Amino acid sequence: MATVTQELTTPVVRPHLARQTAAFAVLLVLLAVAVVASLCVGRFSVPAGRALELIWQGITDPARDLTEIDERIVLLVRAPRVLLAALAGAGLAVSGAALQGVFRNPLVSPDILGISQGAAFGGALAIMLGIWGFPLIAMVFLCGLAALILVGLLSRINGRTETVTVILSGLVISSMFSAVVSLLQFVADPNTSLPAIVYWLMGSFATATWDRTLVAAPGLVIGAFLLWMLRFRLNILSLDEAEARSLGANTSLERWLVFGLVAVIVGSQVAVSGIIGWIGIVIPHAARLIVGHDHRTLLPASVLLGAGFMVIIDTIARTATAAEIPLGVITALVGAPIFTLLLRHHYRERAGS
Amino acid sequence: MVPLSSFHLDMPRLAAVALIGLFLAPAASAEEIVFKDQENREVRLAKPAERVVSIVIPMASTVIALDGGTSKLVGMNPTAKSAVTEGILGKIFPEAKDIPSDVTAPNFVPNVEALTATNPDLVIQWGGRGTDIVAPLTNAGLNTMLILYGTEERTRDYMSMTSNAIGRPERIGELVEWRDRVQKDIEAKAATIPEDKKPNVLYLGRALSDISASGTKGNYTPWYIDLAGGKNAAAELNGTLSINKEQIAQWNPDVIFLNAFEAELNVDWVYDDPILSLTNAARNKRIYKMPLGGYRWDPPSQESPLSWMWTANLLHPDVFSYDLRTEMKAAYKTLYGYELTDADIDGILWLNEQGASAGYAQFKAK
Amino acid sequence: MIGLTEAVVRFGPRTILDRLSFVVPVGRTLAILGPNGRGKTTTLKAVLGFQRLDAGSRTAPDIVGYVPQTASSNQRYRAIDVVVMGRAAHLGLFGQPGPDDFDIAHAALERAGASRFAGHFFDRLSGGERQMVLLARALATGSAALVFDEPAAALDLHNQERLLTLLNGLRALRDKAIVFTTHDPNHALAAADDALLMMPDGQSLFGPVMETITPGHLERLYGVPMRIVDLPGPGGDPQRAVLPAFAGIRAA
Repeated sequence: MATVTQELTTPVVRPHLARQTAAFAVLLVLLAVAVVASLCVGRFSVPAGRALELIWQGITDPARDLTEIDERIVLLVRAPRVLLAALAGAGLAVSGAALQGVFRNPLVSPDILGISQGAAFGGALAIMLGIWGFPLIAMVFLCGLAALILVGLLSRINGRTETVTVILSGLVISSMFSAVVSLLQFVADPNTSLPAIVYWLMGSFATATWDRTLVAAPGLVIGAFLLWMLRFRLNILSLDEAEARSLGANTSLERWLVFGLVAVIVGSQVAVSGIIGWIGIVIPHAARLIVGHDHRTLLPASVLLGAGFMVIIDTIARTATAAEIPLGVITALVGAPIFTLLLRHHYRERAGS
Repeated sequence: MVPLSSFHLDMPRLAAVALIGLFLAPAASAEEIVFKDQENREVRLAKPAERVVSIVIPMASTVIALDGGTSKLVGMNPTAKSAVTEGILGKIFPEAKDIPSDVTAPNFVPNVEALTATNPDLVIQWGGRGTDIVAPLTNAGLNTMLILYGTEERTRDYMSMTSNAIGRPERIGELVEWRDRVQKDIEAKAATIPEDKKPNVLYLGRALSDISASGTKGNYTPWYIDLAGGKNAAAELNGTLSINKEQIAQWNPDVIFLNAFEAELNVDWVYDDPILSLTNAARNKRIYKMPLGGYRWDPPSQESPLSWMWTANLLHPDVFSYDLRTEMKAAYKTLYGYELTDADIDGILWLNEQGASAGYAQFKAK
Repeated sequence: MIGLTEAVVRFGPRTILDRLSFVVPVGRTLAILGPNGRGKTTTLKAVLGFQRLDAGSRTAPDIVGYVPQTASSNQRYRAIDVVVMGRAAHLGLFGQPGPDDFDIAHAALERAGASRFAGHFFDRLSGGERQMVLLARALATGSAALVFDEPAAALDLHNQERLLTLLNGLRALRDKAIVFTTHDPNHALAAADDALLMMPDGQSLFGPVMETITPGHLERLYGVPMRIVDLPGPGGDPQRAVLPAFAGIRAA
């Protein structure tokens, strides 16, 4: 019997593994190329060779005094921005992948839990009150978390929380917060805070500095890391409620743990770069197409693809014209058609099976 | 030297007023005022307006200047109010701090009930920004005058309209004449400046949240930078847009003007920045924050000629040498009937904050 | 090993389970029979711990190997990855399945007779094949208790035979407490030691198959006259079968 098993399973599993390895190698190379290319291009022209040399110096001797403008451009403007874009893209993509698994719904994204809008409200309020820097980030994060808690309370009916009520509650809380954000925009000073709020809501990495990147990084890295640690558990949570429980999962508690991690990631990201749509929904779908649905491979693939995609989008945003193009504009322009294709592919395949 | 106080009322000036678009229709009643506003709507006033609300931000201080006092201004934009409290106008007219500012949201959406409660006979609102901010006013039966932002020509036109509408047509001639004279004087002198001597000048309309700069077309500040012999470093932009520091490094402006809107913003923002501090402007200490006088000097206002002279003196100290302090004293006397003290002038020009900037010593009291 | 004691479940004014008691020790198999809507599923949920009891108590190990009728997930996993999920309880929140867990999963697939599907996508398998994979997952949990929800409901006769053989194979090892629900009393006769008859009147009857699966009890259970027939089995030994009285056609 054992020999039969060997014979039958090995040929199936081995090419599968080889394919996965190849896919990850390609994703990793793509990300590396995107990051290096992004560091080499910008409105200020630094020859690629010089940029690479500067990056190498920056890595080997990070404490060096930067006196030349091209050094500062590459190492103080581009490097933190590229890193922040990569982290944010990775965080949003991995959040989307985790939520789509937990909700067993491919159309779910981090905005669905009201976190983005709650965080946006915190940010808009902070800008209006003239709060900047760390307090702004704290406020964004707390409001995102508050939105999540409100969704939690609202969706709990008779001590039970159904997936559909979570989604509906998220919708309600989202629109409530976006209404309040509109109200803030209505009373905001059109010369100072209003453009700031509008620009910030559109999402941008233009204000990235090492300080801001380092503020957002812990939440993004720790959140994504813990989600990755939960990758096998996410497989379990993607099952029907009864099945998941029978396999030993404390489903409601563990789902909220996932939501909490997503709040940490999205809150950190929104705090430093505003609302960035589409990444959390498009990237996990694309990653599924490449490495399959198993969260043990899906999550790392989403991280790589999300980071690479975000870096490319942001590079376009900061180099295409003299003015910064709002990220939301590009992610929607690129994301919507990709999503349409993925959706059609998904349902055509379903209809075929 | 073109001191404002040296001009007298004369006939050519009145002709000029008529030419720039003020229509004084023959009225049924002796006092009736009828004119077309800048959206080409007919505005009909039975008598000169006694109670004016300006939803447009700079026009609040302009109404005060045209009237020579605050009695006719009964409502203004909260953002205009902040200029009053932060700047010199609140000191000249302490009662201006009590004029209601709840008549509109800062984004020009009127609060019709609060507005109606002030019982205005004329409301000044922006045109060219859609009907949403206008319809509530006309629906409430309020007499509304729409004005357009952008050029000096429009500014003179709407200031003249307003002057006439509030029954002070005699005030505007002097102001328009002053603007015209200063503009021509600067133009004449700037004509001698060769193209390669014109500095690249970057005006940042916002800096703290995101950085914004403006293309030349339809924007007022780039217009007077050009007037004063500068080149708009951001000329390639189409409108007012967000830019990044890398782009500023690429433009490498010779002079940077910071807006007067952001109260927290000062020249240290540039000097402390790793990128911006390496621009020509920063290396040569040519960073200046726009003064805040009776109104902020960046957009068009009754004080614009002062703003142009300040700009001209800073861009080409070898060509222009206006005695700004004297000009300011004369202008404030005419505009507000106020004798500026040296301390007032120091405050308006931010001498404490940017006295060390290149070429700023010329503005110090002698 | 696994069972309920004096369990009461009410939905509003309706009492679904009224002081229901049964116990399945390791080595025995229980078939739960009853008409539709009588509470078979509620009983299973109560045993699995998914249904709160209004009174009474539940006896069960921490993890019960549960074989649902159909697995529902929109995610596309390979059969082996589905089976290895059975190891979740041993791995904890942040644990990842290692080579040992995959060995256990492969062994479970083999025991369920589904080794050949290991690398296939679960959602591309037929209903019967999926059930074998889900059984393998239940086995991979290592639990001494197995609970099947209507395992035969969606199967054709060939697959029913295969399932019953499988259940009997598991029963023969006498190392599990097995519970399954079914509509067909013949399944109880073929693969169970004990039967729980959930009568329409709210009563229930629990005991060895030979004592509970009788024409009288079954008539009460289904409201249809029933007959028991003894037939020679494939190996020549006699087998017992149950038929409703309407079965067959009258010979002319």
